[in-house]
Amino acid sequence: MPGERSSSVGAVWAILIKECRGEWRTRYGLNSALLFAVTTLTAVSFVVGRIGERTDILAALLWIVLMFAALASLAHTFVREVEGHTLTLLRMIASPTSIALGKLIFNLLFLGVLEAVTVPLFLVLMGGPPLHWARFLEVLGLGSLALAAAATLVGAVIAQTRGRGALFAAVSLPILLPVMAGAVSGTRGQWNGVPVDAELRLLAAYAAALLGMSLVLYDHLWED
Amino acid sequence: MSANLTVMAVALLVWGLVFVYLWRLERRIKDLERK
Amino acid sequence: MILRILLFLWLAAGMVAGFTWAPVVPVLGNTTRVFYFHFPAAIVTTIAFGWSMVHSALYLARRDLGHDDHAAGAAELGLLFCIVATISGSLWARAMWGAYWNWDPRETSIFFLFLIYAAYLALRAAIDGTERRARLAAIYSCVAFVAVPFLIFVVPRIYFSLHPDPLLGQRGKPDIDPRIMLVATWMLAGVTALFVWLLSLRVRLGRIERARQEF
Repeated sequence: MPGERSSSVGAVWAILIKECRGEWRTRYGLNSALLFAVTTLTAVSFVVGRIGERTDILAALLWIVLMFAALASLAHTFVREVEGHTLTLLRMIASPTSIALGKLIFNLLFLGVLEAVTVPLFLVLMGGPPLHWARFLEVLGLGSLALAAAATLVGAVIAQTRGRGALFAAVSLPILLPVMAGAVSGTRGQWNGVPVDAELRLLAAYAAALLGMSLVLYDHLWED
Repeated sequence: MSANLTVMAVALLVWGLVFVYLWRLERRIKDLERK
Repeated sequence: MILRILLFLWLAAGMVAGFTWAPVVPVLGNTTRVFYFHFPAAIVTTIAFGWSMVHSALYLARRDLGHDDHAAGAAELGLLFCIVATISGSLWARAMWGAYWNWDPRETSIFFLFLIYAAYLALRAAIDGTERRARLAAIYSCVAFVAVPFLIFVVPRIYFSLHPDPLLGQRGKPDIDPRIMLVATWMLAGVTALFVWLLSLRVRLGRIERARQEF
């Protein structure tokens, strides 16, 4: 059992490295996500101007920009495999769970990079009260974890449909609405200097539930 | 009060139509099952 | 045969009783009567979506396409009853609160449920192959199962702080007239039976369709 476990950790790691290499070679997914985020952000900033006092609107806008930029590109890791017909090969060398976990970690890193660019840019363009960094990063981290967990599972499903990526945003969004609600409320709370423990608990519990459910379901993802 | 009864009549009528539709649908399904 | 006619009479009697025999709640006036349609529809929506999830999980465990028919059929019917509950609730809200929609916690959660199952059916429509469709849809349904308790219990509480609820909590408090509760329960039983009937029709149709395909 320990041997099998370490080999599956190795497989997850190998998948992760492969994903990073592939992404680095083309930078197709990351470029499109970043461009999407920056374009949306510019459009929003241009249209509404600086609204430093309205923390409720700021929080909502930030998460709308982040979520749609993520949804525009997260399915791409699986769609690429299906379109390149490389998934069959991948399945011969690794279990579905290792593949999905590798991609999940990759998606998390992807989100991290996306946020590292988008969030500072958002703060510069939109203004807003000073951040309460510790709380803000906790909200951001947990929100990203839940987002990545849901997006990985739904992405793997959606890559096997007729339209490939077309349905991804529409199908993921209902599952991500609780994340949106918790993250927006938490982001607003930290700006207003209110404790955000309830929101953090919600996000953590939701992320944990999604991850647990994912681990059960990964096995059923590819069978034909 | 009469408005109330009108609404009731409409509700009963709709339910009657839905019921007739379902009744016929079930008969057709039974026909198909027999084949 | 007898059962169908009994169901027809049962629901018709419930409607007549609701409009003529049961009293109205003083503040609500005649809008009380929406309750006899709204309440059963909302409960049956929940039952239907729960049924759909149970059968999705059962499909993944047993791989019997009959479970997939149940899951899909219950989701479709749940959506139908969800629409009835939403529209009747919205009309009532217009009469009592002055607006068709104001993101009251209940409205929020039922709308999210609607979105989830609309997405479920959109997903089903986009997958080729019976078994693959059944498997992938079941996976999505299980993920959605994580979201539903959060939507129903947790999110309304967060939105509550955002939008202080205008007035009037939920109905169904114990001080309500017993005759109203009797008619509501009566209608609930009837509408649940109607749901079972509809679902059985849908499941039988699914079975016929598959037999045709094999043929």
